[in-house]
Amino acid sequence: MSPVLKYTISVFFAFGCCVLLPEQSMALQTHGAPEGIYVHQMAHILYMAAMGYLYWDTKRSTFPGRGWIYLRIFCVFTILWNFLALIGHASTQHLHPEDFTNVDGYLFSKVNMPLTFVKVVYYTAKLDHLLAVPAMFFLYMSLRSFYKNSLKKDGE
Amino acid sequence: MEMYMLPSVITDIIGSQLMIVLSFLSLRYTFLLIRREPDNFLWGFLHYFCIALAIFAISRAVGHMVKQALLISDQKEIWKMISPFSGGINTLLMISVSAVTIYYHKGVEGYRAIQQKAESLRHANRNLEKATTTMKEMNLHLEEMVESRTQDLALSEEKFRNFFHNSKDMVFFIDKEGAILDMNKAGLEMLDYSKEKPPRLSLNHLFANINDLEDFQNTLSSQKFVEDFEAELIKKDGSIIYALLSATGIYDENDEYVGCEGIAKDLTRLKTMTAQMISTEKMASVGQMAAGVAHEINTPLGIILGYSQLMKDDFPENSEEYENLVVVERQSHACRKIVADLLKFSRQSGSSAQEVNINEILTDVIAITEHNLHLDHIDIEHCLAEDLPVIAGDEEKLRQVFVNLINNAQHAMEDEGGVLTVRTSFSKEEQMVTASVIDMGTGIDEKIRSRIFDPFFTTKSVGKGTGLGLSVSYGIIKDHNGTITIESPVMYKNSCQLTPGTAMHVRLPVLGQDDNRESTPATDNQLLEKDKNG
Repeated sequence: MSPVLKYTISVFFAFGCCVLLPEQSMALQTHGAPEGIYVHQMAHILYMAAMGYLYWDTKRSTFPGRGWIYLRIFCVFTILWNFLALIGHASTQHLHPEDFTNVDGYLFSKVNMPLTFVKVVYYTAKLDHLLAVPAMFFLYMSLRSFYKNSLKKDGE
Repeated sequence: MEMYMLPSVITDIIGSQLMIVLSFLSLRYTFLLIRREPDNFLWGFLHYFCIALAIFAISRAVGHMVKQALLISDQKEIWKMISPFSGGINTLLMISVSAVTIYYHKGVEGYRAIQQKAESLRHANRNLEKATTTMKEMNLHLEEMVESRTQDLALSEEKFRNFFHNSKDMVFFIDKEGAILDMNKAGLEMLDYSKEKPPRLSLNHLFANINDLEDFQNTLSSQKFVEDFEAELIKKDGSIIYALLSATGIYDENDEYVGCEGIAKDLTRLKTMTAQMISTEKMASVGQMAAGVAHEINTPLGIILGYSQLMKDDFPENSEEYENLVVVERQSHACRKIVADLLKFSRQSGSSAQEVNINEILTDVIAITEHNLHLDHIDIEHCLAEDLPVIAGDEEKLRQVFVNLINNAQHAMEDEGGVLTVRTSFSKEEQMVTASVIDMGTGIDEKIRSRIFDPFFTTKSVGKGTGLGLSVSYGIIKDHNGTITIESPVMYKNSCQLTPGTAMHVRLPVLGQDDNRESTPATDNQLLEKDKNG
């Protein structure tokens, strides 16, 4: 039997097993519900690490100008936001629908007593825009400063 | 105490909108930055970072607002269905933002290296700018200095050029071989060379005496200069001028002799005047002496003559004593003639001024002497100017002058014969009449030329001349305020060939000019002018 024929038969056999006996083939991994939240949390961690690195490197590089200071402040706020979001997402894993009341509609929903640490963390994490917006504001300030410096440099 | 969720809902809605606005404002600036500086890596990174953030902000904010809207409108089921997609996209975008940031790591290293290079370049540029500014300032000062120096140089050059061109003395430059590199107009005029196309000359051409040249060069090499060096220089036509040379050697940076620059002053006129003064003094003293001698001899001579004539009466004719007294009387008469000639030379004999035509005198003299000249195979050629103006003078004395000159010419040609030329001319400018007697004889030796007007100086053999002929002629012409000059060798006729003969030129002022003329003894001047011309 020629090697080409042997190879062809092997490929067809493997394909047949996958189609006819999927449990036996173990070719695909199944993804359960928690995977989404895990990936999301890992993305937050990755985001934090990236911002930490950016902070460290811009400080190490001693690039001149106020814009870089604003950029580093952006990094700090973004790290804090990520951290808040991370623990906010984690806190939802420990909350139940009966911890909230929305009898009068969604806008008037409230956290039921007694207050627990998880509930406080969740409530605080829901206000994450108080960190995310300043972070974006400092990024904006940073880029504005870079642009003004660029204009000034050309003006010279 | 109750904790309502409304603040978080409001914060979420407003914050989401602000996030979108701020992310797009940031994106706008990165866009402007990369448009201004497309090569800047950092702006490129921040631009992609902001794009990712803007998309993230939109995704998240829209998701949040949709969520709030659905929950407010009590449509939980729909939000439950959308929620995983929104979360997934948000996750994906967060990873993208992180990835872009991590990508920054590689790029920023290159950018940092570029920045360092750029900084060093900027530093170099700053230094260069400083150097350029300094150079500009120096250049500006240099230009001012160059301009100032150029003006000074131009002034100096103009002074030098004026000195070179306007100097009345010869100014010359000579290379180390002795060739004349440049000579001013006065120098060329001094040597009779053309100013337009001067020939290539050298010191060898100029110096008449080779010993003078050697002395000049030796002095120059030993002292590095030559001061008041007298030398005879040769003119274009071969005649000689006397010059006083001063020269300074030129040396290069290695102290090697490369030539010299010098000045030459024509001393010929000064020499002539000096010789003229010497001659005048000499002739004046000789004249005085001759006059004294003549007066002293004249008295005893008269007594000798008187007594010899008285004694002749005491002796019969044909007696020996009588014959001896006749000899004494004859020789006494000869002596008296000599004394009379001496008086004429010293201009102490009387003369009568009247209108005289030189042509007529010469015609008479030729007629008298023609026979004797033919005996010596001498032909006479006369070229007498027509309408020759009359002069004021003593006809007899002038006749005696020309007889003397023709006799001398005959003497010079008596062995070989030849042509004796008599010529007259008139110069309107000078108002002078010139009469020339030109022979083809042996010429006058340079050594005796200055003595030929001396009394009793003669080249004739004993008994053939007393040596008073030219002295007397000199005295007579001087008495007429004229000049008598010698030219020997002479340019025969109009040819350019010099013959060894002699030309005697008598120049006399026409009537009416006499009073205006100074009674300076031009004869000697003229004589010496001819002497210098060889």
